[in-house]
Amino acid sequence: MAIGGSSRRNDESGVRFSRTFTVALFLISIVLIAFDRPQARSPALASLRAGITDLSAPVLDLAAAPVRGLSNIGPYWRNQARLAEENADLRQRLNETRYWRDLALQLRDQREVYEQALNVESPATQNRIGAWTLGDPDGPFVQSRLIGAGTRQGVGSGDPVLNVYGLIGRVVETGNVSSRVLLLTDLNSRIPVMADRSNARAVLVGDNSEYPRLDFLTRNADLEDGDRIVTSGDDGIMPRGLPVGQAQRDRQGRWRVRLYSDQAPVDFVWVFPFEPVLPPEPDRPAEEEMPVADATADAGDAGGLPAPASAEETSAGGEP
Amino acid sequence: MRSPVDTRPPYGLMVWTVISLILALAFYAAPLRIANGPDLMPMLPLMTLFIWSTVRPRFIPPIVIFVVGILNDVLTGGVLGVWALAYLVSLTIARSRDEDGPTREFGPVWVRFLVVLAIAIPVAWAAGSLAIGQPAPIRPLLIEGVASALMFPLFAVIFVRRRSLRGTFGS
Repeated sequence: MAIGGSSRRNDESGVRFSRTFTVALFLISIVLIAFDRPQARSPALASLRAGITDLSAPVLDLAAAPVRGLSNIGPYWRNQARLAEENADLRQRLNETRYWRDLALQLRDQREVYEQALNVESPATQNRIGAWTLGDPDGPFVQSRLIGAGTRQGVGSGDPVLNVYGLIGRVVETGNVSSRVLLLTDLNSRIPVMADRSNARAVLVGDNSEYPRLDFLTRNADLEDGDRIVTSGDDGIMPRGLPVGQAQRDRQGRWRVRLYSDQAPVDFVWVFPFEPVLPPEPDRPAEEEMPVADATADAGDAGGLPAPASAEETSAGGEP
Repeated sequence: MRSPVDTRPPYGLMVWTVISLILALAFYAAPLRIANGPDLMPMLPLMTLFIWSTVRPRFIPPIVIFVVGILNDVLTGGVLGVWALAYLVSLTIARSRDEDGPTREFGPVWVRFLVVLAIAIPVAWAAGSLAIGQPAPIRPLLIEGVASALMFPLFAVIFVRRRSLRGTFGS
């Protein structure tokens, strides 16, 4: 077969490009690789990336639309025969659900009253932002998803992202109308988690394998096969209690997690905007009084005297 | 001596080249898997660059290869420069073998594409591993490489469909 004809054409033969320019492009590529490492990505490059993904988001969405429709054809026809039966079943469940809904509303009201009484501020994770995935490259260097929602919709960097089954990752780059989600399986992913049953803490570490591993477990951690793993919220960046997966040992005896989110392709996701709880900033007078408090505590330890019961007492004692 | 036809600015072909490169990038990065499983998407941007640099080399200067590589990196969320370097190195070496104009016979073209793949994959793997600070898994790259090698004939026929295919591969 001849690609483009059986003979060479005069207009296309002898095409040469500047070697200097080509070498310069080689060097630029190498410099970019050195400066765009995931661990130390500059804000300028990050905003450039976000801008380009914003521009490309509509094109990717358009490219994915036919396949998205195609993937729904099979389940649609397969489910037709069961629809009537499911419909009846769902009506019955709806009636039962009404009872639970009333109970949930009642409990919500009760909780609000308790929170007001205790002056508790619970993190707001109720508002969720739905988005389609626009890009899902499973490359060897990064495991991420591009989703069709950005700062304009309220998505922020660090926000957790879930599909219908569980956590898939967190937002690492935000554009106006698109965001990039770093998956839990990526090499750079670190999420503090815990076992739902025993509250045993660990860090979920991605290693590009299908099952991320659990690191930093204590020696006698109370963990069993099949334990439900949820986010612990210890980093203050993610809310507590988001479903992650099930604990299981691998062949080497290390703990890994079978992710809930793997039960289906990541097509439609929800971003949960989350305001992290910031640590309290000590005011200046308290800082100045700290050495006094420490000295008092040390004296208390050494001489058996009780240390001041609270910072308030310490601060009050320091005033003239 | 250039023919009168050659003096006309080939705007149509240029537009088609640009559109094909954009489409290749879009389909490469878009979520096209219908079900969970191995991603069998071939390296569409590299295939498109290679075909155009064979058929119409003057439309694919190094800066175009670089820009396509950078866009590939951005759209796939990878480190900037990895695919740009891989594409530049592999396609420049492929070109330097025959600077007076590459052959158009399909057999040698396919072999040349395999050579390009054999260069691009290790370069991308090495650059990517350097960027992430540890050896990257090679399996996804090899799967993409095999898919690209196997799908290249079909891809080539689609891209050059307007040209004569007499005496072509397999006939």
